[in-house]
Amino acid sequence: MKLQNMFKKTSSRQHYIALKSARPEVPQGLMRKCNKCGAAIIAEDVKNGYYICPKCGGYFRVHAYRRVEMIADEGSFEEWDKEMEFVNPLDFKGYEEKVESLKERTRLNEAIVTGKASINGNPVVLGICDGRFMMASMGHIVGEKIARAVERATEEKLPVIIFACSGGARMQEGIVSLMQMAKTSAALKRHSDEGLLYISVLTDPTTGGVTASFAMLGDIILAEPKALIGFAGPRVIEQTIGQKLPKGFQRAEFLVEHGFVDRIVEREEMKEVLGRILKMHAEKGFADTDVKAAGRMNAGFADAEREMSAWDRVQISRKKNRPVGTDYIETLFDDFMEFHGDRYFKDDHAVTGGIARFHGMPVTVIAQSKGKTTKENLDRNFAMPSPDGYRKALRLMKQAEKFGRPVICFVDTPGAFCGLEAEERGQGEAIARNLYELSGLKVPVLSVVIGEGGSGGALAMAVADEVWMLENAIYSVLSPEGFASILWKDSKRAAEAAEVMKLTADDLKRLGIVEQVIPEPEEFTRETMEPISVELEVQIMDFLEKYTVMSPEELTERRYRRFRNI
Amino acid sequence: MIGKVLIANRGEIAVRIIRACREMGIETVAVYSEADKEALHTQLADEAICIGPAPSSESYLNMQNIISATLVSGADAIHPGFGFLSENSKFAELCEQCNITFIGPNSDVIRKLGNKAEARNTMVAAGVPVIPGSKDPVYDAETGAKIAAEIGYPVIVKAALGGGGKGMRVAETPEEFENSFKTAQKETQMAFGDNTMYIEHFVQHPRHIEFQILADEHGNVIHLGERDCSIQRNHQKMIEESPSAALTPQLRQKMGEAAVKAAKAANYTNAGTIEFLLEKNENFYFMEMNTRIQVEHPVTEWVTGIDLVKEQIRIADGRPLSYSQEDVHITGHAIECRINAENPEKNFRPSPGTITDMYLPGGKGVRIDAAIYSGYTVPPYYDSMLAKLIVHAKNRNEAIRKMRSALGEVIIEGIDTNVDYQYEILNHPDFVSGNIDIEFIEKM
Repeated sequence: MKLQNMFKKTSSRQHYIALKSARPEVPQGLMRKCNKCGAAIIAEDVKNGYYICPKCGGYFRVHAYRRVEMIADEGSFEEWDKEMEFVNPLDFKGYEEKVESLKERTRLNEAIVTGKASINGNPVVLGICDGRFMMASMGHIVGEKIARAVERATEEKLPVIIFACSGGARMQEGIVSLMQMAKTSAALKRHSDEGLLYISVLTDPTTGGVTASFAMLGDIILAEPKALIGFAGPRVIEQTIGQKLPKGFQRAEFLVEHGFVDRIVEREEMKEVLGRILKMHAEKGFADTDVKAAGRMNAGFADAEREMSAWDRVQISRKKNRPVGTDYIETLFDDFMEFHGDRYFKDDHAVTGGIARFHGMPVTVIAQSKGKTTKENLDRNFAMPSPDGYRKALRLMKQAEKFGRPVICFVDTPGAFCGLEAEERGQGEAIARNLYELSGLKVPVLSVVIGEGGSGGALAMAVADEVWMLENAIYSVLSPEGFASILWKDSKRAAEAAEVMKLTADDLKRLGIVEQVIPEPEEFTRETMEPISVELEVQIMDFLEKYTVMSPEELTERRYRRFRNI
Repeated sequence: MIGKVLIANRGEIAVRIIRACREMGIETVAVYSEADKEALHTQLADEAICIGPAPSSESYLNMQNIISATLVSGADAIHPGFGFLSENSKFAELCEQCNITFIGPNSDVIRKLGNKAEARNTMVAAGVPVIPGSKDPVYDAETGAKIAAEIGYPVIVKAALGGGGKGMRVAETPEEFENSFKTAQKETQMAFGDNTMYIEHFVQHPRHIEFQILADEHGNVIHLGERDCSIQRNHQKMIEESPSAALTPQLRQKMGEAAVKAAKAANYTNAGTIEFLLEKNENFYFMEMNTRIQVEHPVTEWVTGIDLVKEQIRIADGRPLSYSQEDVHITGHAIECRINAENPEKNFRPSPGTITDMYLPGGKGVRIDAAIYSGYTVPPYYDSMLAKLIVHAKNRNEAIRKMRSALGEVIIEGIDTNVDYQYEILNHPDFVSGNIDIEFIEKM
């Protein structure tokens, strides 16, 4: 049975003129429309929910003082340079009136708010752009406030965080505006030279001259999801090249993919993430030195009598269920925070790196990462790094050097990626640069070969104070297959090649190429990793205790000798 | 004056409210989800507005869309029914801000009564009995024993961080206390790594007795007697009746006065329900106040002759109550059975689907509040209640016989229902003799 239009309607009584003077209506400001999905949403929900649309999850732009509320500890913010005198370097007509009316409307002095605050107890100098003020374009005052804040941070030895959001240079101030790019960059250079931390947070939109100055100079660059970030605006690019731009072009995710942003941080987590980063840069040394000695494996665990050919070991080192780089990061370290990108071209997933804690001590961890599944392996290119991977590793190593963190590398690669693009972007140069820079890195470096140590691709992450190998890891100038095909024109003789190449851990220890061999259980998988990780934990603790007390000169001298003598 | 009401609900309660409005000459606006285009409430109302896709979160809980529908339709009031947004203080507040009459108490009252601790404090201050318990955390058995003696045995020792029955022990007598306390504390320590305990009077085999109250905006509060809702499964009521076999006129008066006191203490307006736990020794304790119309309101309507929904609308319109306490007389006995689309043999699994054929009983003293018809498809997205069968007779025995007879006439084909299960309860000797408590279904 269908019921459509079958019932009689209510016979309404005669309507009186409503006595209630006010008819139902939505008062001003109660609801707003999401500019992303178009849904009507309750303004208060937006306000209480980090200015994120509860329907589509889109981000609203945030006023500077609200941003302060979101990230600074309550009552900790002390504003600097609140009153700045208006300047009009070009005597631009109507500029002063415009600024005056904006000051009144926004209750801001200029497009940036600066000051000092604490984030989860960590003191920091803050700069926060406010897009309501001429799209937070950078004129003299914006540049001046940033420079002053950074200078003061340098003086007081404080880290700096700047939330960028800008249309670029302020046209009304012409060339003076352009100079602010140089001024802010220079102030940040001095700050950095003092070994101080600068975190840049990119929000929607960060474009033009700001991108080409302070926004892109962070030791760590974070971004809000989907934020538009670029030098030239998308419309300008489209008009210039006469093409439609791909979807997602110049969004934060695009920048991560292309190596310019360390990570995307959701607004809800921003305070927590910033607090963690600040804390990791404020602390040094161990929180505890207790290692689980009880779980330490017995010497007899790895049977020295086990008869195994070099070729057997080659195959074990390539086993699919063998723990991969990310497994070691996960088991041996706490609070790992991955940082992406080489800041030149790409984020190479064959290399995973970031900061973490080892028994409380901040360290930089970098691993060549095979995948656990075929899909992951395709994404990680089977741990064959491109030049971008080596450049990312080097960037993180230099960052570690700046902040005095030891570097721990996990090596596991069939070799550096062999391909067209790799050559185009200078694979050889990238590897060479790493050898060159690593030799002089002023912090302790440890490399552990956990699987395949494939030639220069491995060495680029193994110019270290000590190099260790797992019992069944291999390390060689070339794969046995390649060796056989070059020398004997027959890659099928790989097993034979393996025997003569001296690529096993024991061989290499004998040759003085590695310092330590970590014994493995018979079936070594992610599930049976525990004894190895305990052993590594003990050994890494010893390593760090030994090397972190050395002066940079002593470290680099020893490292130089280590390779000079081979 | 309310001239047009939007009903922010679905199912039989929406139909119930539309009917009251029709009788009062008030125009009605139904809102419906994409899954409810064919629903009875959608068809019966004068106008119907679709407010979103099937999931409740996007339709019947979508405050913005409901407010927009109200403005578009020109309604001046919203009746929230039960469930959905009916006890959402934020929604009530939105209505207030938009100058829409919310048929129910004001948002402040909803918020305060929705907060368990605050509601309890209000009741204690007003002298309404609550389950006695330790005010402060207890850490050792000795202090605990003293507190238990003050509270009165039996007592229950509970973990402050507790849940799922862990760290809970009952002590029937002072002799048992030390052992019970220590066991509970040890369990708490093991489960939560904490040893903070609370002690509360243990309410044994209680009945669920609730009092219906009406309060207008002029300070008048009356109660309409009780409902006995002890027949529950997993805290879901199945059968409700009025009056309760357990209440003497004296106890009714005492509890009724407490209910009125509770409503006054909360500055309550409109229809509401105060829930009590009642022990065999006639001690009763305030549990919570429901700030809306209840599913089981028809049993009260039948024994008092008062139309609760109409009364709600009148109150919301600012009019004084049509009745004083002296006008309220309990006549006869009413029982309600909830008829759900569920399969009792498969652990009460919901059974959505199309009703192929249907016959519902009628006759003297039989009332059906339903939203189903032959050919109607029960959507899987919402509560499984299809209909309420309510009977009224001179006394409890006759009412039970009438209910059995009526249940026996119910035919709903195409989907599973709990009708046979209800029929069994109606024949259970303990139910027939009135010997019930909230553990009845569990023990059945």
